[in-house]
This record gives sequence, structure tokens and C-alpha cells, in this order.
Amino acid sequence: MDQPKKKRVMVWGARIICVLGLSLFISNVAVAAEIAGISGSSAELHKHYDKSLRGKTIGFVPLALGSPLMGSWDYNMRKEAKECGMIYKVKDPNWNAQASAQAISAFIAEGVDVLVAHNMNMQLLAKLLRKAEKKGIFVIQINMVSNYKTDVFVGADWYSIGLRQAERVLKHCGKGTGKSGKVAIMQGELTSAANIEQVEAIMSVLKNHPEIKVVSSQAGNWDSNIEHDNMATILKQHPDLCATIGIWGISHLGAAQAIKEAEMTDQVLVVTSGGGSVQICDAIEAGLIDVYFNYQSLLQGHDIMAAAKLLLQSGLEPGQAKIALFSPVFEITKKNSSYSCFPYPFPEEMMEALKIDYPFLPISE
Amino acid sequence: MSQLNDGLLQLRYRWSFKKFLAELLEKRWMDGIIPFGIMVCVILVFGSQVENYFSPDVLAMTAREFAEPGFVALAMAVTLISGGIDLSVGGMFAIINFLSLMLTHIYGWPALAVVPAALAVGALMGALNGFLIGFLKTRAFLTTLVTMIAFRAIVKLLNLEFAPKIALSAKTTFYESTVWDYMGDGSFLGIPSNVVILLVVAFIGHVLLTRSRPGWRVYAVGGGRRSARHVGIKVERTIFFVYVISGILTALGAVFYAARLDSAASETGMGLEILALMAVVLGGVSILGGKGTPGRALMGIVIVMVITNALLRLGIDSALNSLIQGLILLFAIGIDVKWLKHLYASIEKIYVVPTYLSLPKALDPRPGSGTVFEFNDRLKDAETIGLDQIDGPEDVILDRQGRLYGSVRQGWIVRFSGDDFSKRDIFANIGGRPLGMAFDRDENLVVCVGGMGLYGVRPDGEVYKMTDETNRTWTRLKDDSRIRLADDCDIAPDGKVYFSEATIRYKMEEWPVDGQECRPNGRLICYDPATDRTKTIVRNLIFPNGVCLAHDGRSILIGLTWKCDVLRYWLEGPKKGRIETVISGLPIYIDNINRASDGNYWLASVGLRTPVYDLAMRMPSFRLRMVKFVPPDEWLYPNVNWGCVIKFNEQGDVLESYWDPLGNYAHVTSMREHMGYLYLGGLHNNRIGRIKIQGADPEWTGPDSYWGKK
Repeated sequence: MDQPKKKRVMVWGARIICVLGLSLFISNVAVAAEIAGISGSSAELHKHYDKSLRGKTIGFVPLALGSPLMGSWDYNMRKEAKECGMIYKVKDPNWNAQASAQAISAFIAEGVDVLVAHNMNMQLLAKLLRKAEKKGIFVIQINMVSNYKTDVFVGADWYSIGLRQAERVLKHCGKGTGKSGKVAIMQGELTSAANIEQVEAIMSVLKNHPEIKVVSSQAGNWDSNIEHDNMATILKQHPDLCATIGIWGISHLGAAQAIKEAEMTDQVLVVTSGGGSVQICDAIEAGLIDVYFNYQSLLQGHDIMAAAKLLLQSGLEPGQAKIALFSPVFEITKKNSSYSCFPYPFPEEMMEALKIDYPFLPISE
Repeated sequence: MSQLNDGLLQLRYRWSFKKFLAELLEKRWMDGIIPFGIMVCVILVFGSQVENYFSPDVLAMTAREFAEPGFVALAMAVTLISGGIDLSVGGMFAIINFLSLMLTHIYGWPALAVVPAALAVGALMGALNGFLIGFLKTRAFLTTLVTMIAFRAIVKLLNLEFAPKIALSAKTTFYESTVWDYMGDGSFLGIPSNVVILLVVAFIGHVLLTRSRPGWRVYAVGGGRRSARHVGIKVERTIFFVYVISGILTALGAVFYAARLDSAASETGMGLEILALMAVVLGGVSILGGKGTPGRALMGIVIVMVITNALLRLGIDSALNSLIQGLILLFAIGIDVKWLKHLYASIEKIYVVPTYLSLPKALDPRPGSGTVFEFNDRLKDAETIGLDQIDGPEDVILDRQGRLYGSVRQGWIVRFSGDDFSKRDIFANIGGRPLGMAFDRDENLVVCVGGMGLYGVRPDGEVYKMTDETNRTWTRLKDDSRIRLADDCDIAPDGKVYFSEATIRYKMEEWPVDGQECRPNGRLICYDPATDRTKTIVRNLIFPNGVCLAHDGRSILIGLTWKCDVLRYWLEGPKKGRIETVISGLPIYIDNINRASDGNYWLASVGLRTPVYDLAMRMPSFRLRMVKFVPPDEWLYPNVNWGCVIKFNEQGDVLESYWDPLGNYAHVTSMREHMGYLYLGGLHNNRIGRIKIQGADPEWTGPDSYWGKK
């Protein structure tokens, strides 16, 4: 049996099971169904929505779970998938490239309908994502894009964030400020898209300003401990450091901590970016971080689901669309830090929302 | 009644499950049975849990991922077997991965050039390890730990410089190369390309390691470096090449990894050394060196990869994943270690499986009994030849010139010549334990050598191998193709050499244990020099020892030591190929048989049967308990201290016996008649004896009797 045919059979199987299940459900909550009953012009939309989404599988491969950024994507995808009757699966490669490729391969083999990939670097998954599309799977890339561009990219516009970060640094350390002009760039994974694009943008601005000297540009592999140690060393070599730019806020907290330990928080401007979890706002209030570009990861999780719903209802074949959904970015400083972040770990009420059984609307044929 | 009973009892003890089990456990591949079992369990358990696990697509994909660490596991296995370890495999892996991507993506090399370049760099890095460990004699663990850090540092530097370039080079297009794509994504008959290469490499490696001289050297060095040096192995060079091979294997894995993933990520190869180490130890490659095979290394990596892959697929939380992995591996390694540790002890415990043997009542040899075996002092006045110049001449023989040869413990053939045999020289140094001898038509001395096989010595002293292997019994679990204990031989007129192998279950020095067991473990083998073929002709004999061609050359007489029987095997005539009993149940334990000048046969006896041991022979469970619970030096042994020489005729009637009350020739294993004298040899004697035989033909010699006068 060839793949699409098999899939079709499976989908039909799923539908039949759904219908059987529903008929049971309906008999039990007939009244509720009556109340939720669809009439009028929305019926058509409901039907299409329901038919396109229910029982479809969405598979997610992050770099790792357990951090606020990936955690918030996971949260919203889990919640929204449940709401529309989709099946959500996640495989956690825990920062391991080999495992990341394995996880993607496994999803391709299982035959999910939508695949959400968080690329460790620009090459690793390129071939696999192409393969997935060829096998009829919609592929959404989140935040860090691969060399191979798939149906949808949801994520930060690294280039513009990089430009804005460099401008803040110029304002603080540039001509006429009387500062040393020494800047450190704390990179993450050198081969990841976020890193490459952001550094490219930062350098494109800084290179036009000879008074700015990039004294260090090292890779911390998204590890706050490494950034901490690197920064401690940099501060010893350059006690007059003026600013530091971190590619990812969570790991850059390590560097910020090192600056605090050296009692230089007033002297060094700390600029970074990220998804906007409460740890960052706390750090800003504590003076550890000065400028933060928030690309709002909770919204990104929602965007992923929106894109998935869009693709599944669009009638497009995988590989036909090329859509970019760059996340809206806003700057957090001490002025707005008290209300700009989301809580993490998620409070109990938010977790409760994941447990609700959402009533599905009956398909009225 | 008793005869029927005996028959039933014999039948009951004939086949033993314990013997089967012991021989099964003794097989070398049994070392790996636990890892194999674990592998099967792991595959079945996780395969049943994970959706679609066994569909061909998924299997191929999983296999592709397992191949690259597979190469690294092979590398690790080779170094462990050689008694070392290579912790730098992860670092080498990362360097080669990076190098391959640099060459393809930045410099645009063709894939066919990248592969040899990568392997060469791998060999170079391995050579660095090998040089340090082999020639400078640094400790493998620390050395490779240091090179691991160094290699990692190199990767880091390269990464900072080139990684973004590599990442961006492929931004617009993929690196397109058929070969590169085939390596990363292709398959051969549905099997992923890298798995095919891995299996080929592992197979070649397995054959090289376990079946070739360089491979054995690796095991020897790993098993005991000092002993290896003592036997003349160039230890330094062997170690050096082991690490070079480790480098090449790692490089091969890394090239495939590069081709498949195209990933220059900085964490490439992180923890690979631990993964590989865990896998090969799990597969049964000993961390202490000298034990393990590539096949077992691959089993180990399959187990580890299946577990990690399945836990990932099941979507188990990553921290929990590592914990579960750790626990499973700990459990498996625990079982494995216990198994290997106790395997040999268990085999030893159950290996000896005594059987039931009922011997007919022995004739009384005591003085005054009036039997033909009655003790006498006919060997008392034997002349002494080569006193203290010879150590245990198991067999003695004389050539046409009247020179006397003895096969001795040191692995030599000692020759005495001159008027009174006063001149002693070492005629040949064969090695092993030379036992029975015979002269062929061309006056070459054919010698059965315990532990080696059948050898020949030309008149000028040159030693040549005749055979050390016979056809294997395919119905038997134990591989009996190798000849372990060739005991005595004789040569038929057509030049075929017939020789006995006393036991296939025990080594030369363990022959008394075979006596405890008393199973038909021996056989009669024929070697034909004309065709250079060796064939087992009679199986299942109870310690066949003496072999003698009958005077007419038409049959062979075989003496069975523990059974105390003399058999006749017909070479020609109407009974050709049949075997019959000539004498049954002698009161003595039989050794060699040789021709006498009067048309009869001499038979040497190593000892006298005793009623106690005869009784023990009918009590196999008693002997089993003894072997199990009593230290060997306190076992009840067959009496092999009080032997004699007897003469019997073609019909099997015993004609006379020769005893030595002084005990100088109490342990007679062989005798030869030559020009009216009888020469006596003994396995533990420090001399050769000679007595004049009353009424013997003073002109008769063995070579004349066999091959005619010259």
C-alpha cells in the first residue's frame, strides 16, 4: 500500500472512530449539543474547520523542553491542539543534534500531518525537512530557520533585532559618550540561524563605528554556565567593558550574573533578546539586564497553531506555501518590566486549562 | 539379569544433558549469549511499545542512525581488546565531521576525495595516540583523555572560524554530489549505505581479529602484554596499529555522519566515547583486554541505540530518559559481568560427567594364583640405558641401524647410538608432547604429538607436519576437528597412517580425568600421505591408546586403556571396515601394542586394575560427587603405578607376562623388540630398559618386519 493511500485509510479510520465516539457522546449530552447546535451562517465554517483539523496530528521537535521559551510554545500548542481536536505529540532531543534528527525521522515515519521543527543549526535538519514535505507533511519551522525553507516560518526576525541591539549599544558606548567603546558579543550555537543572522546584523552596524571595539565574540552553546565563565574572564581582561550583547536572554543571564559578581552592573550595558518570561523581567528589575527585545514566545506558540490550522484548511499541498510570520517585538526596560513578562513555570490555573475536555461540535452531514 | 541391568545402566548414562550443557557453555560464542539475549529482549520490548517500529521504512531509518556510532564502537572495541582504551574517539569524530563539511561545503571538494582525506586524517590522529601509547609507553587512559581534550579544542577553534561559513554556504543550495548523497541517504537492496559498509567492515574486522595472525597478536597483547612480548610479538607496533585502526574506523563513522546530517554543530561527538564504551562493555568486550569481538561490539551498540532511540520516540522526558537508560545499562552490565565471571567456573563444575562402566572380573595376578598374570621378576634384571639422560620416553623405537629413539617430555626425540647406546643426541625438536612413533617405508619417523597432531621427522632430523585436523563430527556440538591428543600410530603397507586420539574432551595433562569420566571420548583416525587427507574412521572409543598393524597387514589392533579391551579394525578382507573385540577385560590398563618376532604381539600396561576402582566405575554418581567436592589430589584414581608387559597372540590369548618387583619399569607405556631384545619405555621413567628375550629371533627388527629387508 502506498503512503498517501495508507494515510487516507488511516484518516478514514480515525474519522469512523470519531463518529462512533461522537454518537456516544451525543446520546449522552444531547441537550448540550442542542445548545451548542450550529445554525445559521457559521455552520459551514464549523464543518470545514472540524473536518480539516479533527484527528490530525501535529508533531513538535524542540531543541529541548524545560526552558521558558520552548515551554511556552509547548503550552500553547498543547492547549490549542486539544481545543480543535488535533493530536499533539512532542519528542525531546535534549540539546543533542543526533537525537534531534532521530526525532524528526521518527515523526516522518509515524506519518504526522504537521511537523514543527526547531532547528539546532541551519544544516542539520535541511534534508529531513525536505523529505518530510515530499512525504506530504506540512512543515513549520519555529524561531530558528533551516537552510531549507518550508511552508511556514514562525519566529523572530533576528536581523532587525540585531540592528536594534547594535543601536542601543551605540547610544550607550558610541562617540561622545566618553566610554571605552569595548563590546562583547556572547554567541550561542555558531551554526544556528538566530546566531548567524543576529551577529551579522550587529556587525553590520558596529563596523561603521571605529570607536566601538568588539573585544570578545565567543560561543556559549546556549549554556548560561559557559556564558558566565566567559564573561568572568572577559571582565578580568577588560575591566572597562562598556556593553555586552547576548543572543539569547536565558543563557545570557549567566553573563549578567558574572557582571553582577564583578559589581559592574552600572558600567556594563547588558542587551539581549528572548521570549519574555518572568525570569527576564526579574533580572531587569534587579538591574542585571538593561535592554531586552521580547519576541513574545506565548504568541509564537499561538502563531504556530494558527499556521497549522491555516495550512490544513487551505487545500494546499505541503511545499506549496512559503509564509513567514515574523513575531512582533517590543523592548523591555526597567520602565515596563513590571507587566511585560509571562509567568514561568506556568501557574496552576494555566495548567488546569490543559486538562479541560473541550466539547467538540458534532458534524452534521 | 546383571547383564541386562548393565546394558540398561550403560544406556542411561550414555547421553548426558550436563555434558551437552558443558560443551555448549564452552563454545566461544556463548560468552556473548547474554548480550545477545538482552539485545533481542530490548528490541522486542521497545519495538512493541513504539508505533510502527518494525515497518521496513522505520527500521531502515533506525539502522542508519545506529551505523555511525557502530563504527566508533568497533574502534573502541579494538582498543579495549588490545588492553587499552581510546577516549579520544568523540574528539576525532568531531574533527573529521568538521573537516568533511569544510572540504565539501567551503572548498567544494568532490566526495570521492573527501573520504580518503578524512580517513587519512583519522589515521594520523590515531597514529598520534598509537605513538604515545605504543612507543612512548604512556598510559592509554590518560593519553587519550588528553588527546580528547586537545581534539575538542581544535574543533572549537575551527568552529569559531568556519562554522558560520559552512552553515551559510548551503544557504541557497545543497551541496549536490551523488556520492555524498548516497553516503548520507542512499541504500543498497533496502539497507542503508552506511549500514552495509559497517557490516562489511565488521565482518572483515571479525575475520581478521579472530582468524588471522595480526588479530591474534592484538588478543595476545591485550590478554597479557608481558607474555606477548616473551613469545616474540612486537608489542609496540601492534599497539600503534591498533590506535591507527581506531582512528580510521572513527573517521569512517564521522564521514557518514557528515554526509547524513550536514551538521557542523559544536556538540557533535559529545559523549560518544562514553556511549561507545558502554555499548562495547555491554556487548561483552572486556574492559581488561583480550576478550571480545567486533560482532559483540555491534550487539552492544544495537542495545544502546535501541534504548535511546525508543525512549526518545516514546516521548519520554529527557531527564527521565537518561535515568532509564542508565538503569537498564547498569542492570545489563551487572548480569553480563556475573555471567562472564561464573561461566568458566560453571563449566568446570559440570564438565566432568562420569558414566557407567562394568568391567568383567579381573584375573588374579597375585603370587600363587597360577594365572598368566601372576607376578614375577622377569624385568628385574633389565639393563639401563640413558639413566637420567631422558625424561619420560613414552614410546621407544629402533631403526635399521639399531639406533634407539625415545619420545620425551621436552618435546624432543632423543636418540641413543653406539655399541652400548652411550652416545645421546637430540634427533629432533618437535615441541608438544611426542608420544607413539613408527617408521615409514622411507625411514621417516612418524610421531604422534600430544597437543599438536601427527608429525614426521626425516632421517636428517627435519620435522614436518603431517596433519593436525580431521573431519568434524557435525552432529556434535563440540568442534572435534582439531586433533588434541594423538597417542599412538602405525602405518599400513599402502602408507596410510592409522593413529589413535585418546580423548577429545581433555588436554594431554588431564588424561587421568578422562579416566574418571570413562566415556567413549576417543577415536581412530587415518591420515593418507598420498592425498594429504585426514579422516576419522572409528568414533566413540574409550581412551584408545596402542595402535599396531597386524603381522599380515590386513587389520589394525587397538588397545583401549580404561576399557581394558583390545579391538581389531579390519582394513581389508571380508570384514573390511568392521570392528571386533580380540581381548576383553584384561586385568591391566592397556597402553601401546607392538609386534613380536614370533608372530605374536607385545602389549604394555601402565597399571593394574583394582577392585575398588572397578567398583567406582559402576558408580558414576559417586565419582561425580568426588570430582565436584574433593580436591583433585585426593581423588580416587585408577592405579597407574604398577604395570607390566604381556604377550598375546592373534586369537587374543595372553601368553605370558613380565613384571618388575623393583618398580623401575612399573609404569610401562611402550616396548619394542629388536634383535632378540625388548626395549621398555615409560611415560614417567628416567631411563629406557632392555631385557634379553628367551627364544626370540636374534635377527628380527621392526623395520624389516614392516617394510622387508634392505
